[in-house]
Amino acid sequence: MRVATDIGGTFTDLVYVDHQGRVGVAKSNTTPPNFEQGVIDVIHRSEIPVQEIETFIHGTTVIINALTERKGAKTGLITTKGFRDVLEIGRGNRPDLFNVRYKKPAPFVPRHLRQEVEERLNYKGDVLTPLHKEQVKAVIQEFKKNGVEAIAVSYLHSYANPTHEQETVAIIKELWPDVFVTASHEVTKEWREYERTSTTVLNSYVKPIASSYVDRLESKLSDIDTEGSRYIMQSNGGTTTFQQSKSTPINMIESGPVAGIFGAAILGQLIGEENIIAFDIGGTTAKCSLIDGGEVKVTTDYHIEKTGLTAGYPIKVPVVDIVEIGNGGGSIAWIDDAGSLKVGPESAGAMPGPVAYGRGGTEPTTTDANLITGRLSPKNFEQFVEMENVRQAVEEKVAKNFGISVEEAALGIIRIANSNMLNALKLISVRKGYDPRDFSLVAFGGGGSMHALALAKELGVRKVIVPVASPVFAAWGMLMTDLRHDYIQTFIRRTDDVNIKELNHEWTSIESNAYAQYQDEGIEANKVIFSRFADMRYVGQEHTVKVPVPNGEINQDTLAEMTTRFHHAHEHHFTFKLDGAATEIVNLHVIAFGTVQKPELAKLELVDGTAEDAFKEVRPVLYEEHGWIDTKVYDRNLLSTEVTIEGPAIVEEASASTVIYPGQALTVDLYGNLIIETGV
Amino acid sequence: MNNIKKKKVDPFTLEIVKDSLNAIGEEMFYALARTSMSPIIYEVLDYATGLTDSKGQLLTQGNGVTGFIGMLTFMVKETVEKFNKNGDLKPGDIIIINDPYGGGGSHLSDVGLVMPIFYRGELIAFSANKAHWTEVGGKDPGSWTVDSTEIFQEGLQFPCIKLYDEGKLNQPLVEIIRANVRFPDLSLGDMWAQVAALRTGEKRFIELCDKYEKDTVLTTINHLLDASEKVTRNQLTELPQGTFEAVDYIDDDGIGNGPFKVQVKVTITEDQFVCDFRGSHPQVLGPINCSYTALMSAVRTIFLAITNPSQDVNDGVFRPLEVIVDKKSIFSAERPAAVSTYWETMLYGADLIWKALAPVLSHRLSAGHLLSVCGVVLSGLHQDTKEPFLIVEPSVGGWGAGEGMDGATGQFCIGDGETYNVPVEVAETRYGVLIDEYSLHTDGAGAGKNRGGSGVIRSYRALSDNQTVTATFGRHKFLPWGFNGGKDGSRNQFEIVKANGEIDGPFGKYARYPLNKNDVVRLITATGGGYGDPLSRSSDKVLFDVRSGYITVQQALEDYGVVINPDTSEVERFTAERQEKGLA
Repeated sequence: MRVATDIGGTFTDLVYVDHQGRVGVAKSNTTPPNFEQGVIDVIHRSEIPVQEIETFIHGTTVIINALTERKGAKTGLITTKGFRDVLEIGRGNRPDLFNVRYKKPAPFVPRHLRQEVEERLNYKGDVLTPLHKEQVKAVIQEFKKNGVEAIAVSYLHSYANPTHEQETVAIIKELWPDVFVTASHEVTKEWREYERTSTTVLNSYVKPIASSYVDRLESKLSDIDTEGSRYIMQSNGGTTTFQQSKSTPINMIESGPVAGIFGAAILGQLIGEENIIAFDIGGTTAKCSLIDGGEVKVTTDYHIEKTGLTAGYPIKVPVVDIVEIGNGGGSIAWIDDAGSLKVGPESAGAMPGPVAYGRGGTEPTTTDANLITGRLSPKNFEQFVEMENVRQAVEEKVAKNFGISVEEAALGIIRIANSNMLNALKLISVRKGYDPRDFSLVAFGGGGSMHALALAKELGVRKVIVPVASPVFAAWGMLMTDLRHDYIQTFIRRTDDVNIKELNHEWTSIESNAYAQYQDEGIEANKVIFSRFADMRYVGQEHTVKVPVPNGEINQDTLAEMTTRFHHAHEHHFTFKLDGAATEIVNLHVIAFGTVQKPELAKLELVDGTAEDAFKEVRPVLYEEHGWIDTKVYDRNLLSTEVTIEGPAIVEEASASTVIYPGQALTVDLYGNLIIETGV
Repeated sequence: MNNIKKKKVDPFTLEIVKDSLNAIGEEMFYALARTSMSPIIYEVLDYATGLTDSKGQLLTQGNGVTGFIGMLTFMVKETVEKFNKNGDLKPGDIIIINDPYGGGGSHLSDVGLVMPIFYRGELIAFSANKAHWTEVGGKDPGSWTVDSTEIFQEGLQFPCIKLYDEGKLNQPLVEIIRANVRFPDLSLGDMWAQVAALRTGEKRFIELCDKYEKDTVLTTINHLLDASEKVTRNQLTELPQGTFEAVDYIDDDGIGNGPFKVQVKVTITEDQFVCDFRGSHPQVLGPINCSYTALMSAVRTIFLAITNPSQDVNDGVFRPLEVIVDKKSIFSAERPAAVSTYWETMLYGADLIWKALAPVLSHRLSAGHLLSVCGVVLSGLHQDTKEPFLIVEPSVGGWGAGEGMDGATGQFCIGDGETYNVPVEVAETRYGVLIDEYSLHTDGAGAGKNRGGSGVIRSYRALSDNQTVTATFGRHKFLPWGFNGGKDGSRNQFEIVKANGEIDGPFGKYARYPLNKNDVVRLITATGGGYGDPLSRSSDKVLFDVRSGYITVQQALEDYGVVINPDTSEVERFTAERQEKGLA
């Protein structure tokens, strides 16, 4: 049995798949600060026989929480002489253009804990000044005196030659074996010293917390007698071992959210959809990502706390490319200075939550608006919903302002929320040169299926898929993962000038590293699969385009093939190509999958049923263009496969509701997914 | 405006159409970066895109830097003025314009394009953009320099003419551009990117009219402008009413003249914000002259900072704003004044208002900052590839302190924005230099209750002979100002440390200084001004600053009245002066 658990802000989810390919789910409360307890709770709640767990996969928010709440360790930084302030200077950009009181993000390491040592490489990795080892020792003393708990080491050009960083780490480990330490080349081998240093610092900053969390979880799991392999979800869409996760915990930064995106790609493979827009609405945010030809896009342009108004902190590790906006079920509706209605980004969160939760929330949210318009039923909530309070909040905070009815105001909230989400969906599709008509939308998370049909229609997407287990889909995605490590090596060479032998040597050496790492993790070489990519550009450009590269020995022909692919990819992304212009390689990128045995999902048994078997009730629902319609409501759990339902209709399940518009039609496929034609 | 039928539009449709307009603005902005071939566009984001209504009123503008905020609307107005009297504008037309002295001009490098948008035969809006071309010809590579004396040395001029006539390209004009600029592929590539962005705007605007009906869109536009105006007027009523003045001096014009006095009188009433620059120095011989619309951009930038920095920008916001200036002044130069480094003066337009109002608006404004773009051009041959390289970059420096905050360290000046420095590792790979240090310039200037942010030191060591460096570092002689008792910051400067140890400088401006192998140019930027009496800075912060090396033990004593033991790094006592003020 494979079991996945995913810690969210409110709930810890569990999804399992057994030997027959049957899927089951469970939910339990998240239990801060001892998150591992929630994991154990949800295992008990699911009533699965723990000794049958062969594979345990885990997604966690522990890392992102430690960063956003500034709960990490006291960290010291060692840099090349002359460059300790790089961490503080950053890139100098000011996204909030017209604000002369712009507050620059404060560095995670204050200046007195940033120390310099003499050493210097040039851009080729040649040593200009050897490492001054005595200075390293002095810095260690200084850090001890200051109560430092974790150290980051980041030297210029270490991506080209890590020797000085390795020597420094060796000295630290010898003189201070207990301290947590990260050298920059261990987390990223890409150029750009600020980004690499920031990544290294943040890795060290969360290392003690990650170690202690993973150890506690491991021991709790052992306490309840689970055996088998244990993996942690990383931000690149693959997993790693508990052991490895402790040494580069920064790779777990988007542990949970990416699993849903990855799950959408896997679901696509299963049902023959290669082009997918994955769309996830939770309590606080909506997230989306575009999957082109089955490929989940992974980049190293990740930041935390970056918004339109602040620069945030770069983390150059591979993260699934996700656009996230502050629009979820708990997003608050409010009136701005100009008298316009806005929804989000502020959220009522889990506490107090929407007015409907009855926990003291007084600000109207998207969830409240969905209740008033009949899209959600008060009966489908765990607690009693006092509708009068919900209506009153919308009346007071929105309707009164415009002199309109509560229902009109509620529909207005939904329309504004949809408009925000539509912009996010356009950002990843139309504005990147993709035609939404070529894509299907996979909607999940608590609110995904409620808004998806309206959005798909507006965007021009023809088909929407609401997967099985849609409210806990991230955990479902984790079930389907392999181990994955990304190796990205900056290697700047012109394609017309590159030494092929050197290039081949570089690929081989990356791949032997990967074999070695997997061997340490207990994965045999024959289970390891490589995908090669090169980040390429025209000479003189800054931005790169990722180009797939054939495996095996590179020769002049494959090099020419790479260049051709680059021209095509560049034209696709940037609308033009420059035939004949010189091209160069910037990074070599190898994805190494450690493939593991996964159960096949079973098709549901064909039952001769009709939609009426799942019929729950008729209730009035307010639609944007049609007004109130008496709408049939169905219970998802009772829907047989291959049943068809014509809109308008609502399909309810625990924690989610699919709203189908007039002119749209739903069928249930053999895996239990809802497939809806949008009528576009 | 137009034949608009007064239409009742529900408030949410209004909001969604408004959002759609902003989204079109963003998409145009993104489209330009995506299709440009020049680093200055897609990395420095030195361009702006926007939509205006049929009269040229700005509806939405996407910006990477602040410098263009006053320009698009004037480009469109110039176009309307010149072409639309007799209905000369037709669908498919695109106008090109870079005249610095009128029509939204700054310097020749900033080239604007304007496209009328027609809906069913009726002119209803304009799509416009302006971008810094890497090259427009002129006497020096890169087209801007610190020693030109008339416009004719600064490149090609496009005096508001048609690049496309009803969709047909003006091919002779393209040939003229190709023949007159140093990197025609880059310049023309950027021009095509600008054309593509304009057409994206046109297409989306028409789609919007198709979807919501033209009258709904036009009603929304009026509503948008009026609502923004209302927000700004509300803000005005919260500002102190009265007249506020400031005087300052610009160092020199790069060819030996100066300093030049500049001044402003700001009058704020309940419904107007008037900036009167009369009495400022007349236009000068060197290339630091600023055009009227560049001044307008500077004034609008600081006006936004004062009223509501994070709101969506359109012309409604600026309706209460008035700018008065003498003819042919250094802020309103006329043909044929040299303007290629106009920003050295333009930013004073913002800074003067900033300085006049900071004492009464300390919750919105900080103390003076580095102010200058601190632009650098370094060229030579790469030591390994023997190929020519060219560094053209602005520098980061210190910002001023304000109420409740120390100044930011190492940030680009107010004229820049979403601008990024070049990483050391990237610079050393591409260019024939080694960077000896990139560190904070902790000179301890800008003392105050809240301290000015540090500038930086960036040192380029030449790795081959016969390199040259040109730089323009304003605020070299007149310092970033402190306020409410805070001290002034320090100056911008650069110096040459030759291989033999000899030091030349410091300089504020210098054209084509020769560097040989192992000569080092040290670029040193200003520390921002301080806020409040330094004696009232908390001693914990003073101690932290000493431990961090932002200030010395000596400065802790002299500026802050805190005596710190250099051996133990602990506070020992306070000076009598500090104690007298009851500040322990």
